[in-house]
Amino acid sequence: MKKIIALTIIGCCMLLRVVAQGDLLDEINKEDSAKPQRNFTTATFKATRIINMQSVELTGAGNLQFMITHHFGLLWNKDAGAQNLVQMFGLNAGIAKTYLALDYSFNRWFNVGLAAAGTSNFEGWMRFKLLRQQTGTYNIPVTVDWISTANVNSSKTATLIGEPVWNRYSFMHQLLIARKFSDKFSLQFMPTLVHNNVVPFGVNNSNNVWSLGVGGRYKVSDKKAITFEYARQLNMFDFVIMKNGTIVNYNPNLVSIGYDWDTGGHIFQLFASSTTMSTNIEQLTRNPYNFAKGEFALGFNINRSFGIKKKVKEL
Amino acid sequence: MKKLLIFATGLLLMAISFQVQGQTYKTRDGYVYFNPNKDQDHKDYAAATKEGTGVLRVETAEVAFLVQMKTFHFNNALLEEHFNENYLHSDKYPNATYKGKLVGFTKDMLTKDGVYNLTSEGQVTMHGVTKDFKSPVKLTVSGKTATFECEFKIKAEDYKIEIPGIVKPKLADFTPLKANIKFQLN
Repeated sequence: MKKIIALTIIGCCMLLRVVAQGDLLDEINKEDSAKPQRNFTTATFKATRIINMQSVELTGAGNLQFMITHHFGLLWNKDAGAQNLVQMFGLNAGIAKTYLALDYSFNRWFNVGLAAAGTSNFEGWMRFKLLRQQTGTYNIPVTVDWISTANVNSSKTATLIGEPVWNRYSFMHQLLIARKFSDKFSLQFMPTLVHNNVVPFGVNNSNNVWSLGVGGRYKVSDKKAITFEYARQLNMFDFVIMKNGTIVNYNPNLVSIGYDWDTGGHIFQLFASSTTMSTNIEQLTRNPYNFAKGEFALGFNINRSFGIKKKVKEL
Repeated sequence: MKKLLIFATGLLLMAISFQVQGQTYKTRDGYVYFNPNKDQDHKDYAAATKEGTGVLRVETAEVAFLVQMKTFHFNNALLEEHFNENYLHSDKYPNATYKGKLVGFTKDMLTKDGVYNLTSEGQVTMHGVTKDFKSPVKLTVSGKTATFECEFKIKAEDYKIEIPGIVKPKLADFTPLKANIKFQLN
């Protein structure tokens, strides 16, 4: 009897000890999962641009980013014939538009940028991160950005004498909706409105041009990715009569394929696009080139960002 | 018989009270800092987190610590992306954990202000690799806070973290880390 009681008691003690001695790692995992779980999706795209269009990625908070973009001449100019060879498929053709941009993110959701867009154009933008793709406490399947761009054409010939300065402006408003489907594959949908203060002279032209775009990337390795973009205008400028009397039909399609290369310090994006224009507004509304005829041009973006705000503090 | 029962009950009660006394302290704002640069005055690649979770079991001198890799923040966002995407694959291995014992720790230390030098021994799991770990730890008790400070070095290769040849010359072979874990006593 004594033995039984003693054994029971010892057994009880041991049991208690076992209960209290549960693995510490389990306990810490439990403790950690008791925190609000916000698993944010990061790196939906490599850079702040997919190719020509902005991606949902903002420059990092407190970071200043410098971007250089070049759009070269057409890869193969039909009129040039063999001259295309010495023009090195547009690289040496003497037509290259340079787009220099600086942008700064004040925090995770607000970014402003300024750009010299080539051909005397200047651009400025503000972008807001409205939603972040995440799981956990909140389940949000997509990242959503809003971006508004103002463009001013400051060339001497942009307006006639006596016309108001306001005629030089055009605007773009864009909603970027993106989802990172897997480690490798991300897709972005971008409805866009371009507003031109002055409508080019032609038939049935309106100030507002609507456009729908889709872009994506597929990572081939940690540092390399293939990207694509397609944008289609829903209405467009038709039969635009230029100052020299020629009639131009702009093309409603914008097709691009690209290659992202993260070199460690900066991101290099090489692309072929059915445009030689450097700003999104021109690309979407005043692009004369037709991808179906093989009218593509090479170009590249180089991004480099600098940590301006020092966030890491050593205790 | 009766005596034995009383004795046994007493033992049981002791055991229970013992367990209650077996205090566990927890924290959710453990700090970890590292600077992988070869030249420690260069802090371009340094990163820190303030969101580590720590548990200290006083009775057995056991400790555990967990850091979510994505809570490490860098000055440059691109580095942060590389850290998560290319080096530590944070989506696949979201946490780094440590589980071990404090050698030389007694519960009396928490009741008396002072600085104590201890050693911690255990296992670190990071990037899917578990390695034995041993390092001196400094415990500072002041009033109702117990601060554990630990400076140690790890080798990226040991945890199968691949560092490209281009970057390697700039980085130290052994990355120095600093941890500062505060527990509120009660």
